[in-house]
Formats: sequence, C-alpha cells, structure tokens
Amino acid sequence: MATTLKKRTVVICGGGLTAGLIARQLTSKNVDVLVLERGYDHTRAAEAKLPNQRDELRWATHAGLAQDWAVQTYTLRHGRNETALPVRRMEAFLPGEGMGGAANHWNGQTWRWAEYDPILRTRLEGRYGRKAIPADMPIQDWGVTYGEMEPYHDLFERLFGIAGKAGNLRGQIQAGGNPFEGPRQNEYPQPPLETTEAGLIFTRAAQNLGYKPFPMAAANSPNAYTNPDGMKLGQCQYCGHCERFICEASAKGSPEVLLFPLLLKRPSFELRLRCHVVEVEYDRQAKRVRGVRYVDLVTGEEYEQPADIVVLASFTMSNTKYLLMSGIGQPYDPTNGSGVVGKNFCHQMMSGVNVFFKDRWINPFLASGASQTCVDEFNEDNFDHTGLGFFGGGYIYSNVTNGRPIASRLVPPGTPAWGSRWKQANADWYAHSFAITAHGSWYPHRENYLDLDPTYRDAYGQPLVRMTMDIRENELRMSEYCTQRAEEIAKETGATIVAPGTPRRGPYDSRVYQTTHVTGGTVMGADPGTSVVSPHLQHWDAQNLFVVGASVYTFNAGYNPTGPLAALALRLGDDVRRYVDRPETL
Amino acid sequence: MNANSTDEERLTGRRAFLRQVATLAGGTSLAPKVIGAAALAAGGASAAPASAQPAGASTASAPAFGYESLGPDEASFVEAMVNVMCPADTLTPSGVDCGLAVFMDRQLAGGFGKGDRLYMRGPWKQGKPQLGYQLPLTPDQFFKAGVAAANAACRERFNKDFDQLEPADADAFLRDLAGGKISDIRVPLAQWFNELVYPLFTQACFADPMYGGNNGKVFWKMIGYPGLPATHTRDMVNFRGKPYPGAKDPKAIPDFS
Repeated sequence: MATTLKKRTVVICGGGLTAGLIARQLTSKNVDVLVLERGYDHTRAAEAKLPNQRDELRWATHAGLAQDWAVQTYTLRHGRNETALPVRRMEAFLPGEGMGGAANHWNGQTWRWAEYDPILRTRLEGRYGRKAIPADMPIQDWGVTYGEMEPYHDLFERLFGIAGKAGNLRGQIQAGGNPFEGPRQNEYPQPPLETTEAGLIFTRAAQNLGYKPFPMAAANSPNAYTNPDGMKLGQCQYCGHCERFICEASAKGSPEVLLFPLLLKRPSFELRLRCHVVEVEYDRQAKRVRGVRYVDLVTGEEYEQPADIVVLASFTMSNTKYLLMSGIGQPYDPTNGSGVVGKNFCHQMMSGVNVFFKDRWINPFLASGASQTCVDEFNEDNFDHTGLGFFGGGYIYSNVTNGRPIASRLVPPGTPAWGSRWKQANADWYAHSFAITAHGSWYPHRENYLDLDPTYRDAYGQPLVRMTMDIRENELRMSEYCTQRAEEIAKETGATIVAPGTPRRGPYDSRVYQTTHVTGGTVMGADPGTSVVSPHLQHWDAQNLFVVGASVYTFNAGYNPTGPLAALALRLGDDVRRYVDRPETL
Repeated sequence: MNANSTDEERLTGRRAFLRQVATLAGGTSLAPKVIGAAALAAGGASAAPASAQPAGASTASAPAFGYESLGPDEASFVEAMVNVMCPADTLTPSGVDCGLAVFMDRQLAGGFGKGDRLYMRGPWKQGKPQLGYQLPLTPDQFFKAGVAAANAACRERFNKDFDQLEPADADAFLRDLAGGKISDIRVPLAQWFNELVYPLFTQACFADPMYGGNNGKVFWKMIGYPGLPATHTRDMVNFRGKPYPGAKDPKAIPDFS
C-alpha cells in the first residue's frame, strides 16, 4: 500500500526546463510547489566536471545522460498492420533524466517559431485554399497567437541570455538578422556567437544565391552574463561538447544553472529527486485529479502525493503516457479519427550534403552547439508551395557543432570503411569538411500516433508507449526539396568535393539520431473535440490538470522546439498562479 | 608495446605460441586465460609462459596487460581483424599496437558488453532492421556468437580460421560480412558486423585512450583533433581558418587526471 503524504498546492511531474520555468513564476508569488523528478542532480558529478566531461564515448556514444532504456523504452511499428517491437537502445531521440532534464544536454539552438505557426491551418487555408491541406494531415491552430506569446519569448531569452541578432524589431526588418522572424519587442540580450569558418563560407555562398544568412540564436553564452534573477552564465569555451553533454563552464543556458539553484533557495519550493511518477489519480465524476502516485527510487516505496493542482511537465512521451495510464481523456483512434490522446505525433526531418575543402581549415572542434549560420528562405511557409505537392520546409545551415572524433568525421564518397585509404581520407578531410544541413518540419499524419503497447512493459510493470509512425509522402517530398536547396548552396561554396545530397528517406529508423524533437500526443487547441488541453494548457477533462511541453504542439515546425515550449511554460506559470486564486476554467 | 615486431610476426608468434602450449598440455586447451599482444611481443615465438619475462624486460613501463572477456580463439580473431582494418602504415601502427583489440575486450567485459542501458525484456521476435537490435543476447554474448559464426563461415570458404587468412582474403571476407554476403543460420552476421563490430572499431580508434584504444592518441594526431581541455574561446578567433597548433600534440583525460 502506498503511503499518503501531506497535500501540496502544485505538484509538477518532471524536473526539466518547463518545470523550472513554471516554478519560477509560481514561487515568485510564494505558491507552494513540489517537483517530482526521476533522475538526480548532475551538477557535481563527472559529467559536469573536467576532464571527464569531455568523454565522447561515455556521454555521446553511449548517451550517458539520456533515459535509461533498460528501465523504460518505446515500441515502434511503421503501420497499424504491423506488430511493434521494443526499441531496445533508442538512438533516434534522447530524452534526459535528472534535475534539468533534456535541457541539460541540449545544443542551445533557440528559435521562436514563425509568426504564422500558431495559426498554421488558418494560414495555409488562406493562402492555398480550404481544400489544399490533405485530409490525412490534421494540422490545427493552437488557439494562442504569436503576439500573446511574445512577452514570454522575450522573458525566456533574457532569463537564458540568448545570443543572436534580431531580424524583425517591432515590424522593422533588421540587416543581419532573420528577415522571416516574427516581430520582436527587443533585441536579443546578447550579441551573436563568433562565426565559424564554415559559417563564413556558408554566408558567402548563400549571399551569392540571393539569400539572407544570419547567426542562429544561441543559448551558448558568448560572454559572462547575469540574468534578471541575478543568475550567472559563464563564457562559452567553443569546446564542442554541448549536445549530449552538460556544460562544465556553466555557459549553456540550462535549468541546472539558471533555474533550480534559484528555486531551491525559495521557501515555497521543493524538489524531490529520484521519484518516478507512475500515475495521475483521476476522479472521473468530478473531472478533477486528486494528485499523483510515485515510486521513491532510493527506497522502492510507493507514495500517494495529493495536490490541488497537477502539472505534467515531462518529456513528450511521458506526458502522453501519464494520460493514457490514468485514463484521462479519450485515446486517439486512427480508424475513425476519434479521440485525442496520442494524436499528431511528429519528429524532425534532418538531411543534408557534405562539403570538402582542400585548402580551407574548418577546424570543427572550434565550435559550440549553436554557433551556426542559417538561411530561412525555405522554412515552412516562408516560400510559395503552389504546385510543389507538399507543405513545410526547413532552415538550412552550416552544421558545425563539434569535432568530436568518434562521430564527427566526414570522408568523401567512395572512401572505404577501413584500411589505409580510410585512414588517409580521415587524415586528409577531418579538419577540412562540414555538412550543410536542412532542419526540416514534420507535419502530422492521421496514421502517426502514440498509444500503449499491448505486450511490452517497463521496469515498473507498466506498458511501454507504442509509436505507430513512418515518414509519409509529404515529409519525403519536403526533404527532397530542401536537400536540393542545400545542394545548391553547397555547390556555390566552391568546395573541392560536394558529396551527393542525402534527403531523408523512409522507413523511420530508430537507429539513426535525428533530433530530440518529438512532438504531439497531448495537443493544445480551442476545440475539445480535437485537442487534449485548452489554449491555456488546461486539460479539457480535468480542470486542475495542466500539460506543457512539446507534447502540446499540433505539428513540428522546421524550427527547434525549445523557444515556444519555454514561452508556453512561463505563460502557464502565470496562468496557474491565477488558477490558484480562482480555480475555474481559464 | 613492441613497435619493432611486424603484424605478421605477431600473428605467427601468437599462433605458434598457442599451439605449443596446447601440445604441451596434450591437446586440451590450456592457453593462458589472459594473454595479449604485449606479452606475446615480449615472449615472442618462444614456448616460454607469458608470465616469464625475458631478461631485462621492463615491468614498470606499462600496466599489466591481458584480456578480460575474450578467450584465446576470440582474441586471435579480433587481433587479426583489427590488423586488417588498421594495417600498420605511415599513419598508425597496426590495430593491435594501437590497442584496438584491448579496447574491444574492455568494452565487452564492462557495462556495455553486459547490456547496460539496453532493454532486455521479452518476448523476443525479429523485425525490420529499423526497429533495431532484437536478440536476447547481451552485446558481449552477441559479439562472441558472431566470432564463432564468422569463423565457421570462414572455414567453409577457405578451410581456415579467419586469423589464418592472408590479409587480402581477410579484408575481402570482412567486406562480404559488411555487405551481407555471408550468412549463418542463427546469427545475423551483417547486423553483427555493421551494428556491433564496426562501431566498436571506430570507437577503439577515436575514443579517449583511457579506454585502451587509440594508443598514444595516434588517431587523434592522425586527423588533428586536439582533445582536451578544449577551452577555445580565444582559439575560435585566432585560429579560425588556420591550422591549429595544438592538433599536433593532443591531450586526453589521463593527462588531466
């Protein structure tokens, strides 16, 4: 029998970025907050200290900071007619564990999505006609606008010391920034990172083709920085150990640097580590949640934690799983399109082309996770899709984030996989090559969804989440198109060798890392018939339950997901604070 | 390691040594449980036990050396394989002398080999390759099952174990393994080679030398990866587009430990 604990005002499941941001808003007004996180505090461990922080094998190859797949993984099948099998060592995306979650080991690539993204369906229907969106592509508006989110984007950028160049200041297009950016009230709080040699080459080629290259906005801090809370970032070392690593210089905007140390000093905040939430306790009649049940991973004891308000702030997959396990909301049924929990599951479409320069020193080890140079001309609806046969797109960029030698070596096509010629090619090209990459959108498909697997179970005895997904025609065409655009830029660089472009092709492959940007499952929207949570992220079937994270996205953009996810979390913090005072439908 | 001995001497020496040990023991397998290239290089083709150091051999210069996981036949396979995949040339010493076999052995003996972070619950079924590894074997067990199956396929084709092949034949055999042209009734050999063996090979070359491969940071020197501490704030500007001086003398975790 589980021991029942003292009731708390707000219980947040998961201790990552969104939990930290919500808790910041709530505890600043002394609202009682308890965060339950399954992992531990990494900040003084080997992964956060020199020299072992720089261990590619341990943290990158073996993904030492990612979810432990022996405990919990996901099953995968490409279609409903197949039997799903467990992905026994997931490589396609890497959820985190521990205080700070996946935002500890991110690259720091920070985007606001396009101004039209929260109203994408309206936008596409307005531009291409009401019948243009295929019936099997359930794109939905979010029920919130970019304008409503803008102040929270601005706050997040100041809290995390984001480095970049504005492209659109209050409607005025700014030279050197992204001309496709939504209007911003303020310039970025820090100037852009240094441009890499690859970025200089990319800039010239892109300009020759008439594009407007700009520095990617970065959570890698170019200078020492103090945020409005008095929390400090160190200076980026351009060490090339960002994604899959914790920044030992505290120079990467992360919850374990900027949020949790602040929160832990606030009297109304408590963080309980190594506590794995297994269920949300739901009163179906009252349409309310009573609290959560969790396992203490130190003692093995089970606890019931009552709460006035529960917030699900876990990774995309876990947020969805909690609702399915707890029977909250109607599970999605692809046979007739009914139900909502698990629908609109999306990932990211990465593709690109490798370029090799005999006489240029790219030095890929002089880089940070977001020291990239980008063009946004071919992202999503920044270009006319009339007659193209697909929707969506991606930004194209000089992709040098690191020179870690196990994984980040490029060799020209035709190089054998071992032997003296293989070694010679590595010696010749390691310091002289980079990839021009398209970071592409993934729009929802009626047959891509999450539910609970009927066969396989996790270490707690619960069903694994089952992914039924494949790369559908829309995404294949989009990737083909964007990869061709990347190839054109590659040819314009004057590279000694331009490898053939590699558009992303199916079937969906669990063995190849794409990004950690899996989205959907608990989508937001104004219509309870097609969404799990309201535009205020309040559950339609449980007034005192809120869900936040990329799981609420109705599609995945060609942009990285962190920006809007953080803005939504800060806004939710303010919404929940209002709800504490007046518990009603927001 | 003895940099003067050639691969051929090393391999011949190992085989000769094991055979002599086996002969002395009346044909039963009495090969030393832990024996490695360094010991063999020291002992050479003589029938001296591995523990008997030649007069004057330094015992202080290198840590004690031996295989933790691989048995003698498996070690012979792995040593022959890494010497084919990484032949001694102007860029690096042989795979064995670079520590590649030791790296693989240590990985198999450690958490990775035992299935750390690998979902190991049944039921077990084979599926599409994109669903990933689906065997009920730990990586260590799979590695060894693959060595046995590959050796069996090798005997069928050449009437010899893999480690007895001429380098050109061994190279062609590995390419056929990678290309899915060699099959076994039970062990998926292409998957074994491409998804387990080959990644271990590249890791052995390019991981931090503290794991037993990449001896002397030879692969980092080869490509010009400077290693640690990688505090490049100023380098980022000063060496943008220029050769980076530190690439000639890389530093690794043991240099800072």
